[in-house]
This record gives sequence, structure tokens and C-alpha cells, in this order.
Amino acid sequence: MNFHTSWKSTLIASATALCLSTSVFAETLRYATVGEPPSLDQQVITSDLATTIAHHMFEGLYTFDASNSPVGLLASGERVEDGGKTIVISLREGVKFHNGEDMTSKDVLASLKRWGEFGSRGSLIFSNVESVDATGEYEITIKMKEPFGPWKNLMAFINGGPAIYPASVLEDATKEPLSPDKYIGTGPYKFSEWKPNRHVELKRFDDYKSADGAADGYAGKREATIDTLRFIPVPDVGTRVSGLKAGDYDYAESIPGDLFDDLDADANVTTILNGGPIFWLVFMNSKEGPLKENFALRRAMQAAINKTPALQVAIGPDKLWRANGSFLPEGNVWHTKSGTDNFSKGDAAGAKKLAEEAGYKGDPIKVMVSTNYAFHYDTAVVYTKQLAKAGFNIDLQVYDWATLIKKRAQPDQWDLFFTHHGFVPDPILISVMNDNYPGWWATPEKAALKAKFTASSDPKERKAIWNDIQALIYDQVPTMKTGDVYTYNIASPKLKGLSSSTLIWPHFWNVSK
Amino acid sequence: MLAFTIKRILATVPTLIAASMLIFLFIHLIPGDPAAILLGDTATPEEIAVLTKQMGLDQPVYVQYLKWLTNLLQGDLGTSIFFQVPVLSVIADGAETSGFLALMTMIWIIVLGIPIGAIAATKHGTWIDQITSGAAMFAASVPTFWLGLYLILIFAVGLGWLPSSGYPSIFEEGGLANLRYLLLPSLTLAAPNAALIIRLVRASMLDVQREDYVRTARSKGLHPVRVAYKHVFRNALIAVAAAFGFTFAALVSEAVVTETVFSLPGIGRTVVQSILRRDYPVIQGVILVIVVLYMVVNLLVDLAYSWLDPRVSLK
Repeated sequence: MNFHTSWKSTLIASATALCLSTSVFAETLRYATVGEPPSLDQQVITSDLATTIAHHMFEGLYTFDASNSPVGLLASGERVEDGGKTIVISLREGVKFHNGEDMTSKDVLASLKRWGEFGSRGSLIFSNVESVDATGEYEITIKMKEPFGPWKNLMAFINGGPAIYPASVLEDATKEPLSPDKYIGTGPYKFSEWKPNRHVELKRFDDYKSADGAADGYAGKREATIDTLRFIPVPDVGTRVSGLKAGDYDYAESIPGDLFDDLDADANVTTILNGGPIFWLVFMNSKEGPLKENFALRRAMQAAINKTPALQVAIGPDKLWRANGSFLPEGNVWHTKSGTDNFSKGDAAGAKKLAEEAGYKGDPIKVMVSTNYAFHYDTAVVYTKQLAKAGFNIDLQVYDWATLIKKRAQPDQWDLFFTHHGFVPDPILISVMNDNYPGWWATPEKAALKAKFTASSDPKERKAIWNDIQALIYDQVPTMKTGDVYTYNIASPKLKGLSSSTLIWPHFWNVSK
Repeated sequence: MLAFTIKRILATVPTLIAASMLIFLFIHLIPGDPAAILLGDTATPEEIAVLTKQMGLDQPVYVQYLKWLTNLLQGDLGTSIFFQVPVLSVIADGAETSGFLALMTMIWIIVLGIPIGAIAATKHGTWIDQITSGAAMFAASVPTFWLGLYLILIFAVGLGWLPSSGYPSIFEEGGLANLRYLLLPSLTLAAPNAALIIRLVRASMLDVQREDYVRTARSKGLHPVRVAYKHVFRNALIAVAAAFGFTFAALVSEAVVTETVFSLPGIGRTVVQSILRRDYPVIQGVILVIVVLYMVVNLLVDLAYSWLDPRVSLK
């Protein structure tokens, strides 16, 4: 072969590779994410992006069906005894981990213990746990100090929840997230690789043993029909949309509201509304500053704000938001209008009078917001104008998110800060219910209601108590809710089997391409 | 030249130590810590404090610096807090993308910038000069994110000729053909820099054309092409060579936007994301590598001076 022949061959090979390039990914679903997850360890990480990826790999004892009710996943059943103080959970047999080991009570015990000590939401339940034991090869017994009503909801919530790992990977595990070589679960997909800034890749787990029953929300049959799931960080939204239209991605998340109408009308794009709305919160400082214990002043601020303009500015199309004061959305079992008369008055004159009565003399009120989330900032600008109109002296401080998180832990640094909250299936999971969450709302009235709320296992009684708690939130105003926002994702019409509305995190088992 | 090179390399040692201290100090002065980012919004300050301690980030800054420096001297830049892989491998992976992107961009800049600038200078005052100068002004003024998005719309969404974003390594499936992923990003990144070079080559050649030795060359009856190439163009390149040093610096900073728009796993995007997440080991490692690169490029530019202009002595 002479030089010229070799040179031509190289050219032909390159051209062929160029032409064939589109077929390389035939068995791969390419998901354009907003960024990279901080880690995929579900027990300690609460990032939604992390859960979107990780819930294909890791499973808990319970999960949620389409109506947000907790149902068994790795658990095959349970008995509640001793007036709710003892919970005996039986496990499904024949379930294998991705490393080939059988899942037994030894693994569940190790997972629950680590979650209870270090998990993001574990302390909520484990502060009330007396003991947890493996009482059989496929049986776990949890003994509570007092009956704890929301236990199953907490167990079913995989985000920061009790994902079941093999006991072998949890030796010496602490609060520090597990390293990728320990990402071993029981889910329909197994961890393949994480290439920084390129992708996180999962492969189908051929020995997966699905739960019985028809697919229903996250429950029932799970079948991995696509070989590979590839989650690719595409931070620019214009590129996510263009890339999907160009066929470079099959699914793209977090698309802004102002593109919704055009994309919804585009036959080459499928829009998928998320069923569980997110909601934005403005926390007030209960530990220090002018708002500490001054509930009248907080109510004055609440009265000054009309939430609708903030939602219009930050989101856009009416279809994507609801000016809903209830902390859980319409149609949900926890939805209540209790206290919501004060949700969105937008009464500047009334607010001014209330503020004067509360002793407000025009001192600066420090409001922290981050530009990392455009909707936080947009809302803050609208709120600031409305509060200024009611005579409040707002000192708007704009930070990046990492700085805001650092500063909000220092109670002398702020009076209000903006954040947002994902949909949760039980109000006990809303951050304002946590006494230690910045804002530090821990009044005796709250403590009394919270104790009753967690002690009860009766759904009707719990609902009635939650009504009282929400009314108390509107009275003591530890936080202000802006409204419900229905985020949406887009997909290629080639994807078959996608739920028309995802619960919270999209899933790709039972989906084909 | 050898003595000069050795001297310059030795001079980089104290500069690097000072740079490493400044980098470390500034990064740790920024509020925020990776533990809070890892644990997310629902974490309480107590939970964040527990993880901060477990990660050793509660220790005094000078202790953390000395640990980092000790490891650095052994060739260990540490482990990324978020990716949980060695920083060197994060840099190596990003370097492949950024290296090819810079190379292709420089090729565009040279291929487009120098000939067009030279033609504009030789056709000074004509319609060709007017058009090339106007085009250069346009390319210099257009924001890179705007140009990038339009190139994606035209060549990826509209015509379907090129991929919209991403870059699989050339060591993966697709091999060298994966370089097509960098065609649009490199064009985007090259546009403002090529415009700068066009303007510079044109202005520099026009200056040189007024020199006495050029007039002498013409009066000797040399062919105009020989005068333009040997006497004008080559001497005009001295100023252009210096500009390439600045252009490299500009490439590093402008690449952040381009890498974001085209979702490229390059160094620029890595460092920005690491800053937002306070991934200290990656930030420190990447910035240190960039500092070294700047020093190397500046050294090469100085060496190029003496090659282009023998009157310049290296001391």
C-alpha cells in the first residue's frame, strides 16, 4: 500500500464513520440534563437530578403509585402491631443486587441504620425509633418509641430516602456520599460510568426481578427495554431544545415557561407536564432580627404581596402555574384552604397599617436571593416592589446559591431568603416542618401540633391536624408560599411508553425507543 | 536562547508558588462550601457541619493549603469532591476537548485571519478592503453565545449536517470523526479572534509598507509580491505574534461561553461549574494548570520574537 492509497483509505473511513454516526446510539436513550448531580447516593442527597438518575438503579422498601399512595417495592407486606409501635416488614425473595448478591434483611438492616444515622430524611423517623432488627432472613422489625403515622410515606420517598444497598458497601459509610464504585442497587438499570462533564451512563440489569402487578406510577411492573440510559449535562436551555429538535437528545428537562406554547404546538416535540408541582418559599428568620417572634409584622408583609404577578413574570403561560395557597396541590389528599385567605391579598395600604401597628419603624429588612435560579430572582424583584409600596425598607442582597446557603446558616445575616421546594407526598417532608431548617420555626404551638400529627396513624385525623398546621403557618408566617409551578420536560415523539404526566421524577423503565 | 529558556523556566517556580497560594486563599475566601451544595436545600446547618468535618474542610486554611501543597509536590492534585475521581483525570479529560478546540480555533484564526488581513492591506482603500473590514467588525461585535446558537440552528437543526452539541472523545466510538463535534464551536470561538487578527495584520502591514526599507525594495525593482511577502508581511508578523499570546488568553476565557453553549466537556466549563459548586481541588488544579499554560505560551511568544526578528536579543 503506498502513501496515497493509505491517505485515501483514511478519508473514506472517516467519511463512513461520519455517515454512520447517527446509528451508534440506536439502543441508547440520551437525556439532556441541566447539569451534573452532586452524587447519586440517594440516602444523603436530595437533588432532584440525582434522583431522576438514581431511581433507575436504587429501590426502597416502598414506592408511590400514580395516586401518591405508598405501596410495596422491595417489601412484600407488613404488619403493624402494638398500637403502631411495632412494624414488621417482610421482604421480597429472589431480588438480586447488581453485584450478584441476593438481597436479604442483613442488607436492609445496614441500609436503614445508615439512613437513620446519616440520611437526609432519616432522622425524621429514626429520632423516634427504639430499635431496628433483622428478625428473619427476609423480615425486618422496627420498634418505635411512639406511634409514627407517616412512616410509610417516608420510606417510599426515595429522594434522600432509604435506598437499599448491599451491606458490603455500607461498612464505614458515613454522611459522606458513597463513591461511584459503590453504586450498587436492585433497580432495572445498573451503574455503568460517570465521565465528568460528559455523561452518567446506566446499563440494563439483566437479572432484575420486577415487582408484581401492572405498572402504576412508580409501582408495579418495571421492565428495562432500552439498553442504555445516558444522562448528558447540557446547561444551556437553547442547546437542550435545539439538540432535541436536531435528534441529538431524546429527552430534555427544565424548559422555560416562555417556550411552552411553541413547543406544545410543535409536532416534532412531545411536552410532558410534571404532575407534582414545585413551589417557591420565602423563609422568615425566627431566631434573630426584626421578624423574630413579631408575627404581626410578618402578617403585614404577607398582606402586602399579590403572588399572581410574580408567577406571571417568572413563569409565563397560565397553564404552568396556579396561585394556590395550599401547601399541597388541588386533587391531592392533603390539599386544604385552611388559612389561605391571607395567601395573596396584595393590599399595600392595609399592610402599611398592620406594619405600623406591629411597631415597624422603617428599619432595613435584609432579603437574600440567588441568581442561580432565575425564578427566585424574578419573584424577589416583584415582591420587593410590592413591599416597598407598602412602606417596607427592603435591602435586597443577591448572591450565588452556594454563598446564600452558607449565609442563611448565620441568623444575623438575613431576615428573609428565597428558595423552592419539590412536591412531597406527606407534609411532614416540607422543610418548614423541620425545626432546624434555616428560619428555625419552632414555636410551642407548632411543636404541639407536630407531635399530634406524627403520632397519629389515622388518615382523617392527620388531615384535620394538617389543616390546623397550615392555618398556623399563615398566622405565624414562618414562610410564604408563592404558588404552584408545573415544570415540564420535552421528548422526542419516538419515545413510546412515557407517562403523559410524570409524578416528580421521570422514569424510563417501560419506555421504548 | 538555551540559557534564556532555562532562566525563564527557573523563574516560574516562585511565580507558581505565589500563584498557588493566591488561588488557594481566594477560593477559600469565597463564602459557601461543598458540603452544603452536596447535601442540598433541605440540609440543616448541623448536618452541613457534620459533613464539613468528615471532609476535613473545617481545618484552618493554612493546614489545608500545606496538605494540598505536599500532595502537589508529589504530583497529586487531589480528588474531586463531586466526581470522586483524581483531579488530574478531570483535567486530562477536559484538556482533550479544550486542546482540540483551541487547536481548531487557532487553525481557523490563522487560515482566515492572516490571509484576509494581508489581502485587505494590499488592497487598501478598495472595495475588497471595505468588505473585509466590515466583516471583521461584524465578527468582532457578535456575542459568541448568539453566534453559537445560530450556527446550531442552521447547521444542526436546519440542515442536519453537524451535531448540535457535546463531544465524545476521539478514543471512543467514532474515533477522529468525533472532531466534527468541534467544527461549529471552533468557528464560533474563532470569529471574534480572527477578526482581531485581520485588523491587526492589515494595520501592521500598512505600517510596515511605509518603512524606508520597503521603499528601497520597491525602488530596486523587486516584484510587488516579493516585496509584500518578504519585506512587509514577515515584518508585520512580529506584532501579530504578540497578539497570538493575547488571543490564547482570550480563548481560555471565551471558551467558557462556547463550551456552555455547545455543552462541551472542556476545561472552561469544568472550572466554572467547580466554582459554583465549590469543588476546591478541581478549581485549584485547573487554575494552576492554566497559569502554567500561560507561562509556557508567553515563553514561546518571546522565543518566536527572536526567530521572526533577529534584532531582538533574548537576555
